Amino acid sequence: MTEYSRMAKGSFTASASTAIINLPFIPDYVEVNNYTNIAAAAAASKTLRAFWDNTLIVSSNNPTMLEGYSSGSVMVGDVIATNGISTFYAGLSQQFGPAQQVVASTKGNTTSFQVTGHGYQVGDTVIFRGLFQSATTGMPQMNGIPFTITTITDANNFVVNYNSNNAAYTNLSASPASAFVEKVLYPFLYVPQDNVITAITTGSTTTITTSMYHNFEVGQEVAFRIPNAWGTTQLNSLPNLVIPGSPVYGYVISVTDNWTFVVNINSSAYTAFTTNIAVASVPGLTFPQVVPVGDVNTGGNVIFSGSSLYPAPRFPTSSSRVSTINGPAIRGAFVNNTSQGFIIGAGTATNNTSIKIMAANDVIEWRAFLHDYSSP
Amino acid sequence: MSITTTGNLGPMILQSLAPAMLYVPTPTMNYITVCDKVSMPANGGTTCRFMRPRALQPPTVQLGNSGIDPPAQVPQRDIIDAQMAFFGTGCIINEQVILQDQEGVLAWVSERLAVAMRQAEDLILRDYIVSAASEINAGGGSNGFNPTNLGVSDFSLVATTLDTNNAYKFMTGIEGMDRFGTGPVRSAYFMLSSTELQSDFDALVGSGFLNQWNYPTNASALPSEYGSVYNIRILTSSEAPVARNAVANSSGTLNDLYYNTVLGKQAITHINQDGYSMNLIYRDPYYSGMLAQNATLAVKFAQAQAITQDTAIRQLLCTRQSNLGV
Repeated sequence: MTEYSRMAKGSFTASASTAIINLPFIPDYVEVNNYTNIAAAAAASKTLRAFWDNTLIVSSNNPTMLEGYSSGSVMVGDVIATNGISTFYAGLSQQFGPAQQVVASTKGNTTSFQVTGHGYQVGDTVIFRGLFQSATTGMPQMNGIPFTITTITDANNFVVNYNSNNAAYTNLSASPASAFVEKVLYPFLYVPQDNVITAITTGSTTTITTSMYHNFEVGQEVAFRIPNAWGTTQLNSLPNLVIPGSPVYGYVISVTDNWTFVVNINSSAYTAFTTNIAVASVPGLTFPQVVPVGDVNTGGNVIFSGSSLYPAPRFPTSSSRVSTINGPAIRGAFVNNTSQGFIIGAGTATNNTSIKIMAANDVIEWRAFLHDYSSP
Repeated sequence: MSITTTGNLGPMILQSLAPAMLYVPTPTMNYITVCDKVSMPANGGTTCRFMRPRALQPPTVQLGNSGIDPPAQVPQRDIIDAQMAFFGTGCIINEQVILQDQEGVLAWVSERLAVAMRQAEDLILRDYIVSAASEINAGGGSNGFNPTNLGVSDFSLVATTLDTNNAYKFMTGIEGMDRFGTGPVRSAYFMLSSTELQSDFDALVGSGFLNQWNYPTNASALPSEYGSVYNIRILTSSEAPVARNAVANSSGTLNDLYYNTVLGKQAITHINQDGYSMNLIYRDPYYSGMLAQNATLAVKFAQAQAITQDTAIRQLLCTRQSNLGV
């Protein structure tokens, strides 16, 4: 062993064909062994081992090398040119993926977008811009709102949580010149965060739907900022007519899913929430928001099977939860979630395009290194 | 006649080092400037907890003559938690570098590490505010984007919002003086903006913008202060958050999106733990390997941050009057 090198290893059961591995360093070499495929009998188009070196550049790509079975179940070598193993540095906000043309959209209680070969997954957060069909039509009310994708319809279509099912919205078609979408690379560097509201169900308690993962916990104290155009302004923390100056907050009493939660405010008599806002009103339109204020929690996350007694905070809120790399904290606290490490991507091999590094439920063993000496 | 020139008798050593190092371009760090500062004690756990009492209902109903006391109120409070996080970076410097380099490597690397640490503090606060503070889209400009470029009504709207929320201003006003070209400055909140917006601020001269140079006295102006509009004094920095080409109009023209943080006192709190901030750590080569070849220089710090008065902060989002391509 040399003096300053870094080595790490681990294993996990894959929940999908991609995975993010947080490390205390950015590796320059990664090995991934697919135990499930190694243990099984030879089968067509399976990866046994993948390895990646950050100094290996071929045709401007930094490929991932594979050992696995061909389509004829014969041991072969192959290469994933892009979207194999790569590193990440989630330390700064305002980093975006490439802009992709929005071809068309379909309005409804949720809104569907057609983007050719979008490459997104459920859980990716995207931002639209220029959703105009003409100067006076389209869906520009949705511009600038971060949306965490709820459904991947197919390789060219996905769905976000936004009710565009009213007269103010017009479907996009024929690839409008201004309409693009970008992926937000690191949307949850700090949690909990400000969230844009896309739906409110009023009643004896109030159900809130957000555009992206809200990352709120039960017991979270929240405040609302709802401009007049969106309807339910009575939820706003100020003004307070009973105790002037004292903000009125709500508490999260249940978390339905990553986009939906319930607060303890009786909104039965409040104005209905609406997204029916004219295109002409878009310049200067401020979005309805819910912001974290505080919490009433006193301990760590809810103890679940396999967790330590005081686990680190986890996000997103309700499913596929990932721990932050910090130690224990209070549920609902403001938490730093910056991180670094490597990504196992869902890219396919060059010669056999059916081969990926892993699939859901595969048992994966990995090792990551940062070497003292590298040539070049 | 033979003339000896540097072509046939050049200096033995061609270069000499200029007497001073060149400056390192470094953004002004405004976010840390406007934060409240709190220190968590040692052995104080992982999380800093703030408590803010809630107002009690003013007793505006008269007691009457029944002799019966009104029902008691239950005092309540808001709890705000922030988890401490640790950061650090360093350099490994071979003794041959220290031995042979003409400049004091350890000295300037130490300085760079210190600046990197301070800049990290500021960037963390910047990104945290972008993440957690609520937003208002500017609508007072005329460029047709959402948000628009900044108009004076946007400054008025945000200051009105914070005033209505009973936020505390940072600065008292500056009384007018009998000096040409100057005007009084109102008591003010701070707005942390990008240097790229300075041309848009200049365009508001005569409409409400007062350059810092036109204050009656700039004794209270901060080094990064560009000017003021109504009840907002503007600090600019090149590291203020900008999302490039994030906004498009119907013809596909792109504009950058700027996050202007407008805040009052105690809106944001920066927390360290027991002075665990600005630790510069030097380890002599003696501690590295059997030949003691490498020294290390490193910094580490602990930091947490919280929005401690959510009513006293807004992000005023805007685009520019025109994208100048800078």
